[in-house]
Amino acid sequence: MPPRTPLRVRARQMASRWAPAAPLMLLVSYCLIAPIIVLVLQAFWVNGAPSLELWGRVLGQASNQDAIVTSLGLGIASATVTLVIGSPAAWLISRMFASQRAFWMGLLNVAANFGGIGLAFSYLATLGVVGMVTLMIQALGIHFDPPRSSSVAALLMAYEYTNIPLFVLLTIPAMSILREDWWEAAQVASATRLQFWRRIGLPVLAPFLAAGWLLIFTWTIGIYGIAYGLAGQSGGTAARLITLQIGTTLQSDVITGTGQAAVLSVVLLAIAVVSLLSYRRLLRRAMRWL
Amino acid sequence: MALTALPRTLPRSRPSLGRVLLFGGLFGYFLLPMVAVVLYSFATRWTANILPDGYTLDWWISAVTDSAVREAFGTTLILATLTALLDIVLVVPAAYWSRVRNRRIRTFIEVSAAIPFALPYIVIAFGLLQFAGIVTPGIQGTFPLLLLGHTAIAFPFMYWAVDGAMSAAGIERLSEAAEACGASPYQIIRRVVLPNIVPGIVSGALLSFATSFGEFAMVQTLARGVYTIPIWSAGEIRSYSGDAGAFNRLAAVTVVSFLVLFVLSGIVVYRNRGQIVRLLPSVANSEGRPTA
Repeated sequence: MPPRTPLRVRARQMASRWAPAAPLMLLVSYCLIAPIIVLVLQAFWVNGAPSLELWGRVLGQASNQDAIVTSLGLGIASATVTLVIGSPAAWLISRMFASQRAFWMGLLNVAANFGGIGLAFSYLATLGVVGMVTLMIQALGIHFDPPRSSSVAALLMAYEYTNIPLFVLLTIPAMSILREDWWEAAQVASATRLQFWRRIGLPVLAPFLAAGWLLIFTWTIGIYGIAYGLAGQSGGTAARLITLQIGTTLQSDVITGTGQAAVLSVVLLAIAVVSLLSYRRLLRRAMRWL
Repeated sequence: MALTALPRTLPRSRPSLGRVLLFGGLFGYFLLPMVAVVLYSFATRWTANILPDGYTLDWWISAVTDSAVREAFGTTLILATLTALLDIVLVVPAAYWSRVRNRRIRTFIEVSAAIPFALPYIVIAFGLLQFAGIVTPGIQGTFPLLLLGHTAIAFPFMYWAVDGAMSAAGIERLSEAAEACGASPYQIIRRVVLPNIVPGIVSGALLSFATSFGEFAMVQTLARGVYTIPIWSAGEIRSYSGDAGAFNRLAAVTVVSFLVLFVLSGIVVYRNRGQIVRLLPSVANSEGRPTA
């Protein structure tokens, strides 16, 4: 039997393998991993024993049910609008001349980075009660009341401002897998443009587009800043969202609200995990054409 | 397999009506809010007509001389700068070591990078607040905790950018070559590794900075006394009650923060020649390394 390596040597080997990465790993464990564990424990433990009591109480409340339904609905609506507008935009931009493409990529990138409170205010300045577009339409002599700034319609319009650019930037690289020769081959076989898209184009791109849809859906449900800003002036009449419910409990009542915020957080965590896993699967599937 | 190179030959057709409508609509949609905010920041009174009744610099002057605004800007800039610096210091050594020594570091990093990617910041912020309250109550609700939080949520951007640069430079081979020539570890890092990944570090730093600059949920949750520009702006929106000037001053501040983000993304896009932009783990790089 070989002599065991002395502990000191092994410790030194360990250090040489991990030391430069240790600070980052510590930060990640402290700020990202441990908090998730704490949330899950808080949601499932009551008075030192595993329990679903909190879940019954939180999910039984009408306001929380309302928030979950609205958040999911908004996520689906927003991701679908993004998909419908973003897919043709991504395809067309990917086939533009370089200079034109650079212009659009620049514009989209700026818009994609512009979120949160700043975007919420910009929305108010555009489509609020005295927003620019509101005034323009009214100046034309048309009676026009803009949607309430905290309504689902307003949230949807504001969210698209970052969602469409993110979706386009995300899917543009995938557009290059549709090869020139395929379109030529289809033409030789006297296929129409529509047939090409139905039989070849869309089936090949579908997994990528679905993956994009899924990410936008997940991100939309997690948006907090824009919604907070738009909920601003309306007090109790704002659309209820999961993230806003978490934020409100934190702002108002840290002691008793903890259980509710933990349960809602775990709901968001579950959504994130499921969509991330499906995203991975979709992409693996998409890669088969490469 | 890298997909970022876009094809140059294309089945192109004449600009159709649909295309003009799509891009015209998008252009207007992206531009109108920017125009509205800029006009608001200069408008004397604007409640009835298409354009403001008159123009003035008063709101800009009052925003610039407002001590709360200046303080918030200072705090925001310090927080974002420290976030970017801390991310450089923490991520670069880890990314380097994961390439030359220990591949398992990469697994750890890639799995944890998915957390801020998929999980809402408000959830991370809430969990971190709880956890910090248990293990380090001393920093709960303070600036340092917020800084750590921002560093953690921005780290994937730094990692994807730096790791992409290392891959592009072929850092493993360069390190080996330098070692074979008898360079000391310090010399390798200083003279070989760093000069080759500067573009990645710069892109990563800009994106980390931008992430922290506009972030709202964590600041609001983690550090009650810290006033950043988003916190100040949210307060202004909430407390707005029709008083003249409040909206216009907020517009001026929004223009400035927008310009900051505009310049940052401009640099990133320019440096990457209009190719990959937000450095998301997009379809192109889900298989291997990101393209930076």
